Amino acid sequence: MPARFSLLSLGKILFSPAEAFQAVADESPPASRVFFRFALWIGLLPPLFAYVGTTLFGWRLGVEPVFLPQPTVIAICLAYFAALLFGFVSSAVVARWMAVTYDASQSLGRCLALMAIVGAPLAIGSIVHLFPHAFLNVLVLVPVLIWCMYLLYRGLPVVLGTGPNRGMLMASALIAYLFVAFVSLLGITVALWGSGIGPQIGT
Amino acid sequence: MTVRHYEDRVVTAFLYCAVFWALLGMVAGVWVAAELVWPTIDFGIPALSFGRLRTAHTTLVLFGFGVSALIATAIYSVQRTSHVRLFAPGLAWALFWAWQLAIVLGAASILAGWTSAKEYAELEWPFDIAIAVAWVAFAVIFFGTIARRKVEPIYISNWFYGALIIVVAMLHIVNSLALPATLGKSYSLFAGAQDAVVQWWYGHNAVGFLLTGGFLGMLYYFLPKQAEQPIWSYRLSIVAFWAFVYTYIWAGPHHLHYHAVPEWVQSLGMVMSLILLAPSWATMVNGIMTVAGAAKKLRTDPALKFIVLALAFYGLATFEGPMLAIKSVNVFSHFTEWTIGHVHSGALGWNALITFGTFYFLVPRLAGVPLYSTRLANVHFWLALAGTMLYVLAMWGAGVSQGVLWLSLDDLGEVRFSFNDVMAAMQPYYLLRLLAGLAFLAGTVLMAVNLAKTFAGRPTAVAMPPAGRRA
Repeated sequence: MPARFSLLSLGKILFSPAEAFQAVADESPPASRVFFRFALWIGLLPPLFAYVGTTLFGWRLGVEPVFLPQPTVIAICLAYFAALLFGFVSSAVVARWMAVTYDASQSLGRCLALMAIVGAPLAIGSIVHLFPHAFLNVLVLVPVLIWCMYLLYRGLPVVLGTGPNRGMLMASALIAYLFVAFVSLLGITVALWGSGIGPQIGT
Repeated sequence: MTVRHYEDRVVTAFLYCAVFWALLGMVAGVWVAAELVWPTIDFGIPALSFGRLRTAHTTLVLFGFGVSALIATAIYSVQRTSHVRLFAPGLAWALFWAWQLAIVLGAASILAGWTSAKEYAELEWPFDIAIAVAWVAFAVIFFGTIARRKVEPIYISNWFYGALIIVVAMLHIVNSLALPATLGKSYSLFAGAQDAVVQWWYGHNAVGFLLTGGFLGMLYYFLPKQAEQPIWSYRLSIVAFWAFVYTYIWAGPHHLHYHAVPEWVQSLGMVMSLILLAPSWATMVNGIMTVAGAAKKLRTDPALKFIVLALAFYGLATFEGPMLAIKSVNVFSHFTEWTIGHVHSGALGWNALITFGTFYFLVPRLAGVPLYSTRLANVHFWLALAGTMLYVLAMWGAGVSQGVLWLSLDDLGEVRFSFNDVMAAMQPYYLLRLLAGLAFLAGTVLMAVNLAKTFAGRPTAVAMPPAGRRA
């Protein structure tokens, strides 16, 4: 099998996603390859950018910057990395589980590749974390997120080999999961802050 | 015996008004969103001040748009699931005029400064009495039709509509108990913390039985109709109904975490809110699996898209709610914009989208002609999705920032940022929210035009119940 899914294909994934989707459909890359040669590394980018930005500029929430102690920054970035990986793998597993209902491919490799292609623009867009101004991040990441949603609707039927209508339904069901995963991350984050892990806040 | 046609004209009338109140309520919402960006655009007019206009916004969208849509769809579906004409159609017309008059005068009274100061129950005592009477009329019409049904089982949508009618009557009457002082002012019968507990018992169950239960009634009738598929699991729908009814009623105290109410009451509210996730998601799974069998209809049916998306937002809102009820999350999120975002992910993403989808199904049937423009409906879909997403994301960003800023302490343990500092930091998010509201409103305007063009002055089409008695 010519499985070529790796960091080297990042350009194609970002700029010709339709080709990337078709390539995954043709090649059906193994799960380990998608994870170790692509997702793991691209998943490192957001926490790295966040680390550099937080250390250099502090969190900008609209008033004076909030600087955090080094050990806290490292802990937050590691937790961020773990959450991203968990979110990535769990989305692929959920997609595989849903595939039975929507008559789609149940190959874990394809599901991981789909989520990797869909998530890649967000990982690259996270370069905005280099200046952790909250509103600037919202402003940049919202259009990127919309693009990612478009990629999910567009790519799912191709990568998982299901019809466009079933693909649309399955993508919507996956978006429901992604909403929930994201809001869980928010909830877990603030609960950790409240228990003393993170910025010093008086709860 | 001659079989008489379904009473659908009153459905059309409620539907027209629902769309009108949606437009007016959303304009008020956009205006108050703009006031948070440019505070002087109330021009010093008391009726346009934030406090009054925001209350008018919630009253118009909840009771004008939401309840009119619920009554319209309840009347439409109860006749069809019972195979009989509506019981007491004259009373239904009286209900229609009474409800619309209550909304007009009620909104005017709020703008004039009358308020009971109870959230989502601001209308003063004369309106409370009028609403209670109108609601009893709704109960008579609905349960009278069920009592005359020719189909033995009571279909699941009617259980949800029935729960809406009974529980909202109970909540409204108990929470509105008050001693009138003048025509425009009364004082609650409950005092202090008790008043707060009763208010949030009302407030949260209004969310539960009106915005969730009532609209689930809508979902359970119109989703299988649109998808041309039976409900995926009827048994699951019944189990979810009873679990939902039992659990929801306890969840109100999560609005009062860390307030002057007993600790155990708060913890009970939190635990019941968490349990509530199970019946909420059982319904979501039932809905998603029902649609899964109707994939081929998506291409031709814009209404189904709205319902699919509404289910996704229903899943988000019913997960986020229990999560925000956890005390260690609530200590951070309470009073922040996160709550406003949560309410709107439910109100825009779930309630409005499921209603829009239902209207796109209903109007061509009521008018007896195809929808005027599928393309306009598709544009509406994307505007509604973009508006809701942008709203929720802006409020997540604002809420988390606000939480950190409010809770930041200086070296002396004092609050580090002033109210003004935090308000200034919120400005960009408020602007983003305003854009989101405008996008959502623009979509609703397109729908109003589309539905009006579909009706184009036509009388409501006549539909007959099936002949004969069925088991």
